[in-house]
Amino acid sequence: MSVDLRSALFYSRKDIFKNRKVFIIITLSIILATANIIVINGLVDGMIGDLVDNTIQSSVGHLNIYPDDNERFIEGLGIKEQKLAALKDVEAYSPRISATGVLSNKGLSVSSTILALNPDNERKTTKLLEKLVRGTAINSNDKNAILVSSRLAEDLKLDIGDEATLAFETGVVKVYVVKGIVRTGNLDFDGSTVIMPLNEAYRQLGIDNMASIILIKLSDKSMTEIYKPMIMQNLDVNNVKTWKQETEFVSNFANSWRSTSSVISGVGLIAAAISVGIVIYINVIHKKRQIGIMKAMGTNDAFIFTVFLMEAAIFGIIGVFIGDCLGYLSIRYFEANPFLDAISQTWISARFEPQLFYIATIVSFAVTILAGVYPAIKASRVEIIKAIWGT
Amino acid sequence: MEIIKTNNLKKSYMLGKVEVKALNGVDTSIEQGEFVAIMGPSGCGKSTFLNLTGMLDIPTSGEIYIEGNDVTNMNSNKRAEYRLKYIGFIFQFFNLFNELTVMENVMFPMMLNKRPNYKERAKELLDLVGLGDRLNHLPSEISGGQQQRVTIARSLGNDPKILLADEPTGNLDTKSSIEIIELFRKLNREQGQTIVMVTHSPEIGGMADRIIHFRDGTIGN
Repeated sequence: MSVDLRSALFYSRKDIFKNRKVFIIITLSIILATANIIVINGLVDGMIGDLVDNTIQSSVGHLNIYPDDNERFIEGLGIKEQKLAALKDVEAYSPRISATGVLSNKGLSVSSTILALNPDNERKTTKLLEKLVRGTAINSNDKNAILVSSRLAEDLKLDIGDEATLAFETGVVKVYVVKGIVRTGNLDFDGSTVIMPLNEAYRQLGIDNMASIILIKLSDKSMTEIYKPMIMQNLDVNNVKTWKQETEFVSNFANSWRSTSSVISGVGLIAAAISVGIVIYINVIHKKRQIGIMKAMGTNDAFIFTVFLMEAAIFGIIGVFIGDCLGYLSIRYFEANPFLDAISQTWISARFEPQLFYIATIVSFAVTILAGVYPAIKASRVEIIKAIWGT
Repeated sequence: MEIIKTNNLKKSYMLGKVEVKALNGVDTSIEQGEFVAIMGPSGCGKSTFLNLTGMLDIPTSGEIYIEGNDVTNMNSNKRAEYRLKYIGFIFQFFNLFNELTVMENVMFPMMLNKRPNYKERAKELLDLVGLGDRLNHLPSEISGGQQQRVTIARSLGNDPKILLADEPTGNLDTKSSIEIIELFRKLNREQGQTIVMVTHSPEIGGMADRIIHFRDGTIGN
């Protein structure tokens, strides 16, 4: 005997809408749980996406050459630059020197990272110099100008045009004028970085023709795996990292955030599913006699099971559909209206991935249906005689 | 023609550790178109007999024949199908679906049986039981007697060959009880409906064609 789905749906629909308050409360819990999955994960995706973009745009190239182990600098920079310029898909490159120092102003001092770069090369390779919040960028010939990262400037109460004293690790001390203030969104960078032209760093550190790192920009960042061995061979370097390796910490960070957001979403979803299960279970308990009558009329166990599973499905369809819409609209709102993260002082926006939409739909609906399975089994196993006569 | 026949029908169940013999070898035969009342004291096995002939329960031993077909050992799906197509039930407690209107309550078994024109048929049946003006009322909005009439209309939806009624007037006042029994008589006379009714009341039982007396799980004299 097959199950007449039309009759099952007819009864489920009537039964579920009988108590509108309960229906609204339960549906609302599914709506919020579904929207929660989309919004929280969309915000995490947005935050992580921004972090990766920021890192790639300001701190690393598609490929990055580091000194060999136990070496501080890459030597023979000039020859390496010539070889890089000859490679077909190398769009730009930027050598940088990293050193330590102490920046002081008006009696305040902060240990700083000195980042020396060639502004012309850097502009072609990264967007670091576009991240000025005030002032103007340095150029290659500047001898007395520096850029200061935003939080370092705050800590030392520095503004554009102020003079600050920089003590290099070599013992050299020199006064520089703050030409611009930079904010990248990277907490480490923004906390303690002084940017100066490469030539000026060479002069003060007493070195030449070397770099702490060479950032390489390819015409297509997906070609890094092809170019990495080629560059290692052509430039005779051993320590080359791709942008994926460089942003591995972001992936780890992302995974830990995703785990956290999954737990938060999961708890909401389980709470919604439990409420669906409880409501249907209580309904089954209260309706034992009616279930018995339905069976006496000629319905079989499968029909009764279908009726109560359909109730869960109706909750699921309505709740998940509205939850998807709410989640989608919320994500679009946060995409259009990013909010300022007080810790990193960066704007966080959400990102809508269609995949997220499918996951939220499938997971929410499946969990809601699962919640209805036990009460539906319980209903299908009601014994007619016991149910009708309450024995 | 014999529509219900039982041979040495027995039903026992355990009450704690004690075996209770609800039916102890019932042989009976009911003809098509008969209006039979089953009477007897409480606990004599009247309702158990009705449950077994209505295929709501399985006998411990013995045989049940409906229209000559042995239905004793049918599986639960087959029994459900048989109930849907051949048997109409009326219980003491009206047992309507509270979330459905009067009309929907009557329609529902016909929908289950995929009967065409079930809406028209439901209206006809509600007219027949005198509730043609209460179609869209909920069960809670009509009286007990009216609810029982809806139950009767519902039980007739699939034109069952047998109508089984367990104390159909047990919860009604005298006036409503007489109305219900008159309705049974009308169905029996005009439509040739076979009706098997369990009752305590000699007055109600006396309105049937034949009375079968039960005593201690068997048919008495």
